[in-house]
Amino acid sequence: MPDNYDKDVYPEPPSRTPADNKQTSLPNPALILAKLFYYSVDLPVTKYREWVDSVQSGNKSVYYHQRFRRVPDLTDCEEGDYVCYYEADMQWKRDHKVDQEIIRVLQERMRACHVREGDNGYSQNCLKEVQDFKDASRGFQSRYGDLGGYADARKCLMKQKERMINGRNA
Amino acid sequence: MAGMSLLRSAAVFAARLSPFKSLNKGSKNVSNLLTRTIPKTEQVAVRWGHGKQLFVVQPSRFYDSRFLRLLKYYFFLTGIPVAVIVTFINVFYGEAELAEIPEGYEPEYWEYYRHPITRFISRNVYDSPVKDYEKAMAAIQIEKEKADHRLAHLEVRRQMRQRGDGPWFHEQTVDKSLIDRRHKATPDA
Repeated sequence: MPDNYDKDVYPEPPSRTPADNKQTSLPNPALILAKLFYYSVDLPVTKYREWVDSVQSGNKSVYYHQRFRRVPDLTDCEEGDYVCYYEADMQWKRDHKVDQEIIRVLQERMRACHVREGDNGYSQNCLKEVQDFKDASRGFQSRYGDLGGYADARKCLMKQKERMINGRNA
Repeated sequence: MAGMSLLRSAAVFAARLSPFKSLNKGSKNVSNLLTRTIPKTEQVAVRWGHGKQLFVVQPSRFYDSRFLRLLKYYFFLTGIPVAVIVTFINVFYGEAELAEIPEGYEPEYWEYYRHPITRFISRNVYDSPVKDYEKAMAAIQIEKEKADHRLAHLEVRRQMRQRGDGPWFHEQTVDKSLIDRRHKATPDA
């Protein structure tokens, strides 16, 4: 905004919470309920959590994210080299899991956007998240969909072959 | 006779006047005048609170309650120690936190798991995933070599039978020294 805008039309937000301006002498039930909830639920739970954290901070341990080396794919294996097939299969299974998690993350983002914007603003403000999820899930379906519970690197390769044949014929 | 009926009606009248008071005997007895016997309700063993005691005939609940008792016993026999141990570990050890792998450091294989019990089991009970991977690949390699040997065996059999120049598929013949040629020594004899 430019510097000399009308301050009455766009007032700045107050820098401090305004003081209570009670008009009546009756007690505020919302305040009473809030304090009740605080002392009966919030405070004991917070104290317990702080105690548990102080106990656990003594014996803290860490875990790491494992990185796997890339190995040759199923298409790069010699025929009859079953060990190469096995390694390619394991790599494919790991990639399948990673792709499932990617789809889950995109779905979570879409849902969070839905919750943020509400049912009315969803169709206008969440288009990017929805489009990302749709593209990703379309790719996932075309690559991994309908392979079944015993999905394999070979079955996925055969599905890709079918896709390429259909794409060539079309 | 008339006097008897007069006495009887007088007794009935007296009984009706005070039916619950025994006029000449102890308080335990029912009024034993020659009239209808009126039971004294305070002497019968009846309590007005819960009604009359009855013996209700029903099937035995012993087997069902024994089953439930034993079920609860065996469930909690190991359930309670397991719950106590898991609670202890979760409160006093807690789960691990995610961290970047430091430079030049190769984490042990159990350091890739989060919960302390999983880490314990992975460290003490299971082999490392790398070892399992190598074991599987070794099994596959052994089976591949066995299959290759079987195919090679079949091919060798085929070649040796066809060519006849190998050690297999020899027909056993009789030893030369056992042949009797005496009958050929004198031709046209």
